[in-house]
Amino acid sequence: MILRRTLFSLPLLGFTSALADADAPPPLAPGASAPLAMVMNSGEATVSVINMTTREVIKTLPTYREPSHWVLTPDRSKLFICDASGNALFIVDPLTAQPLGHMTIADPYQLGYTPDQKYLVVNALRINHVDVYDGVTLKLVKRFSPGKMPSHLDFSPDSKWSFNSMQGSDTLVSFDLTDMTTRWSVKVGPTPAGVLWHNGKILVCIMGANGIIEVDPVNGEILRHVETGKGAHNIFITENKATIYVSNRIGGTLTALDPATLAVRRNYTIPGGPDDLGEAPDGKLWIALRFAEAVAVLDPVSGDFSKIDVGRSPHGIFLNTAMRKPGKLTAETL
Amino acid sequence: MFLDRFFSIIAGDIDQWLILPVLYHFGWMEWEELSFDWALICVYGMFAVIVTYAVCWPLEALFPVERWASRKAVGVDVLYTILNRVGVIPIVSFLLFYQLQVVFTGTLVDWGFVPPDLEMWIPALFGHPVITFLIYALILDFADYWRHRLSHTFRAWYALHALHHAQRQMSFWSDDRNHILDDLISFVWFFVIGLAIGIPPLQFPLLILLLRFIESLSHANIRLSFGWLGERLLVSPRFHRLHHALKGAGRKSCNYGGVFPYWDMMFGTADFSDLYLPTGDARAPEALATGGYLAQQWTGAKMFAGAMFKRG
Repeated sequence: MILRRTLFSLPLLGFTSALADADAPPPLAPGASAPLAMVMNSGEATVSVINMTTREVIKTLPTYREPSHWVLTPDRSKLFICDASGNALFIVDPLTAQPLGHMTIADPYQLGYTPDQKYLVVNALRINHVDVYDGVTLKLVKRFSPGKMPSHLDFSPDSKWSFNSMQGSDTLVSFDLTDMTTRWSVKVGPTPAGVLWHNGKILVCIMGANGIIEVDPVNGEILRHVETGKGAHNIFITENKATIYVSNRIGGTLTALDPATLAVRRNYTIPGGPDDLGEAPDGKLWIALRFAEAVAVLDPVSGDFSKIDVGRSPHGIFLNTAMRKPGKLTAETL
Repeated sequence: MFLDRFFSIIAGDIDQWLILPVLYHFGWMEWEELSFDWALICVYGMFAVIVTYAVCWPLEALFPVERWASRKAVGVDVLYTILNRVGVIPIVSFLLFYQLQVVFTGTLVDWGFVPPDLEMWIPALFGHPVITFLIYALILDFADYWRHRLSHTFRAWYALHALHHAQRQMSFWSDDRNHILDDLISFVWFFVIGLAIGIPPLQFPLLILLLRFIESLSHANIRLSFGWLGERLLVSPRFHRLHHALKGAGRKSCNYGGVFPYWDMMFGTADFSDLYLPTGDARAPEALATGGYLAQQWTGAKMFAGAMFKRG
């Protein structure tokens, strides 16, 4: 695998380093070796570590089976990478990409700390569980079985409510984390995936349709539908809250939305199954392309993008340049 | 490694342009996380069929154990191979067992047992995926030895397995000729083992194909031995042909190993005789040997039901 990485990165070296010089990100926090992108290759049980300056894959970390999504621990000292069929969290130093070990946990696919960091909520997609762990001890506090294939999640800013999409049940489910009860469960459309709390509402990607919906977090009422593209999969908001991006899996597009109106500003054509993304300090978007074994680096101004070869089925992506930002870092807030 | 990436890109294109639009159209997008794996199985399966054919066909033509006037009986084995190798049967089996797996694994987790991976049992293996893969291959081959041996031991099970043994024109296409219930039993067998030691790492599809190639080669109509030492390292066409010999059909046989002969050597069932004997099962109905796919499946099912409900 290392040989493979080396072979396939060699032809890119001259090209990518010339591209990268002008856009070198500012320095990271003390202890950081370099600005790094960590790409979770679900299809080959590895994490590709890319030097964001040279855009080379500098190392490939083995995982157990199937890395997917990530979360930073509240103290930012560890990056937890979900390894779903490996039944483990793969722990990595977010600054250096040094492996720090594993923690056994049942089928973690997607996860997130509540904003108050009291709980770690884990969607176990294969076994239809939503598990709530204590944010400090990581002991299981509550297990819900709310439907089929729990997929993505987000929280209300006051940490009281969790919103989890059920990919196999076509529902969005909300849990009250103060008394560990289910608040409501509503049908939202075929195969819901990405979830984002935004402006007091919940935005949900409907992968079996062509856009996102806006949901009232109080009662689960569907307020409106916004067309983005076929197979709307995941949703992100930029750090400055200026743009919402939706990756459309079937359409092979990335849609930029106005956060105030949810009007479509622009569609970028990025074939290869766009999935998760990160925003680099230079404003470029690093997008995992599931079917292309590559990460696309998109200039959202010009619409141009280049690719960096990674492993099979790249899924989640963590840019450690995000460590400069204050406050809680999540996969959905770029 | 170039092939690895090449096939993944092809699988990605098939998934993106063919499978996902179908899933999207019919409202089955909940399977989209797995559809790429299915595409990959099909692509590698097709590659395996092509490579096996390219290697084994000339060898069978140049160094055959038997020459046949007609290869009509081989035709159905080609169908079995296509169904198995391009992923149809694995995908159908997966869908059938998915809910079972969800319920079973979910219940275990509820009881506080998280199914481990081999690397959790032996932490030193982590970071050495090739070694881990080879250990998985040994464990799974060991399990397959016992599955195979037991399929010869129990009358009802052998009633299903007789379909595999009935072929008198055994060739490299014969590896996948199995009754569908026999395939399902295998699926359950390895599902249970998977719960104990985890799913093997799948990041080395070419290594998996190499192991499957050895199994295909071992069925080939080739006068080929690997020599004294080689015969004791890997299952050869000569070694496995003794298992398929007329005397090897039924409830007492030899050389059950699929890839490695170690288990036969360990448990006293190895036969390294320098013989190339006629294959088949003299007691099997003719439909199992020369019938079409459905006739073979139907006959096997009737034999299985008869054996299950036969007294004494």
